[in-house]
Amino acid sequence: MFRLIMPVFLIVLSIGYLILTFNMDQAKVGNPNAPMYFPAMIGFFLLIISIIYLVQEWKKRGEIIEEVKELVSGRTPVLIGVTVVLIFIYTFLFERIGFLYSTTLFLGALLFLVNGRKHWLQNIIVAVVFSFLSWYSFAELLNVSLP
Amino acid sequence: MGVDFQNVMEGLMVSLQPANLLWVVIGAFLGTVVGMLPGLGPATAVAVLIPITFGMDSTSALILMAAIYYGAMYGGSRSSILLNTPGDGSAIAATFDGYPMTKQGRAGQALTISAIASLIGGLFAIAGFILLAKPLASFALKFGPAEYFLLFLFTLSAIVSLSVGKMVKGFIAMSLGLMLSTIGVDLQTGVYRFTFDIPQLSEGVDFLIVIIGVYAVGEVLYNYLHLDRLSTKKNKVGKKGISKDQWKQSKWPMIRNGPIGFLIGVLPGAGGSIASMLSYTTERQLSKKPERFGKGAIEGVAAPESANNAASVGAFIPLLTMGIPGSGTTAVILGAVIMLGLRPGPLLFENNPDMVWTMVNSMFIGNLFLVVLNILLVGLLVRILNTPPKILYPLILVLAFIGTYTLSYSIVDFYILVIFGLIGLMMKLLDIPIAPLILALIVGADMEQNFRKSLVAHDSIWNMLTASSVTIVLAIMTVLSVSYPFIVSWIKKRKAKTDTPTS
Repeated sequence: MFRLIMPVFLIVLSIGYLILTFNMDQAKVGNPNAPMYFPAMIGFFLLIISIIYLVQEWKKRGEIIEEVKELVSGRTPVLIGVTVVLIFIYTFLFERIGFLYSTTLFLGALLFLVNGRKHWLQNIIVAVVFSFLSWYSFAELLNVSLP
Repeated sequence: MGVDFQNVMEGLMVSLQPANLLWVVIGAFLGTVVGMLPGLGPATAVAVLIPITFGMDSTSALILMAAIYYGAMYGGSRSSILLNTPGDGSAIAATFDGYPMTKQGRAGQALTISAIASLIGGLFAIAGFILLAKPLASFALKFGPAEYFLLFLFTLSAIVSLSVGKMVKGFIAMSLGLMLSTIGVDLQTGVYRFTFDIPQLSEGVDFLIVIIGVYAVGEVLYNYLHLDRLSTKKNKVGKKGISKDQWKQSKWPMIRNGPIGFLIGVLPGAGGSIASMLSYTTERQLSKKPERFGKGAIEGVAAPESANNAASVGAFIPLLTMGIPGSGTTAVILGAVIMLGLRPGPLLFENNPDMVWTMVNSMFIGNLFLVVLNILLVGLLVRILNTPPKILYPLILVLAFIGTYTLSYSIVDFYILVIFGLIGLMMKLLDIPIAPLILALIVGADMEQNFRKSLVAHDSIWNMLTASSVTIVLAIMTVLSVSYPFIVSWIKKRKAKTDTPTS
């Protein structure tokens, strides 16, 4: 039944988009409805095509999508989940402790997660060297201001 | 013919300046390396490397960007030949005979012929560019809003229907991209659309962040799925030199398919994948020994490689003269070019001829350099390919964040990046093509403006479609491209019926 989630979501999305389109502010210059023509066209198109998608997937509803099965098996969910959490921590720290430190920590943590604890020395070296090099080339050579 | 040789020569002089030469070398090298990484295509390479161009003057930035682009296309074929993992559509044909050659221990020869073929294709295409770009730009000058709207519509429908078997999903991706493009203040009337009172949304969704999100972050997350099964296969490179016989076998395929690839690349929406596939099948049909194909025939590498490189140069013509990208990768380039403050379109050739011709000449130099790089440094490149992906993916992620930060200096964009990374992952899992989304997002705003302008000018949609001979042709081509998959499947069904008569 997993197959049906996406088409149903798209149908809901297109209906929501159409509702927003028809409740849009009217233009004060020119044709008052002009800003909604194009969105309305897209909304209806997506609605129709999503219904076709739903019908297609309904016929295949018993079949399992191999890749989705892989998504929830083994350590993949942990990898993706922890990566997203690390990104939030990185975002939180980025402007507070500065680019160089936060990036070293973020990259280091990612490497420990993905590359494994066994290669700890490699992880630390890569994290430190890469963060420093990218900081140096952006901030010093390319004059991009980083926190 | 309208070709201004003075401009071309001036461009050559500028591109020969040491600083610009250096950018070509750096861009081509970086592009090759990132484009070569397994699981990451040229679109990702360009998206991740774009931030390097910030803070540069626009000519150098354009040179560097183009170098990254064709470097990445080269790199894409490298991973096709060595690992059997094409980075994008245009590199698929290179796996057919390239990978068998690698398995036979002839990877060195495959890489050499691919580099030479790419050079030959590229040279044809650059000559074609010099001849065709200016006349095409003058032709496009006559385009009104109706012509542009239909051209965008045709490009989008072509790229959707080319994702054979995934048309419905392609249209979904396209609609989502168009929807995203409507977010923000409407340029004509100042009406706020779909902004939900979030100030960051009033200027719309920055397409470069979406690009970096779905390509770089999305692809890294997607590659997590196969992380523990990815092994760095070590293949012997073998000797690099090619024999006289092999040269004879591949000479004509390379020469034939250069111009063909270029012309296909010029067509909006077609691009490298069609060019390389078409050239591969043509060569197989022309061959006296078609059974050699697929088993490591050297001309099976030479033909598509010549065609796809020619197509990737050819794709610059619609990109620069009309602002129309032909593939996901060129869409990324278009986004970057717009960000430089350049407005691709027929006027670009009038207003910034120096820049355009400098870039074209630098492409010529870059192609020469890439051959040297790819033949001399094969060993080094292969060693880079052996870097464990488990180290590479975290690095790509970090690069994606640095790139996003340099776009707007705002960490709010990090959240948008993650959201689009997850959307990209979802799309890959459900096999929804990403290129139509990116293309639609980038051309969406222009498409809408032209649609509304032409609606005002022509009163009704019917008058708009029949406004000129160009609009009629484009409308017919759009209908044909959308119905093409149906026609093909109908013919197949009929054939199947007549082949197996049932009682």
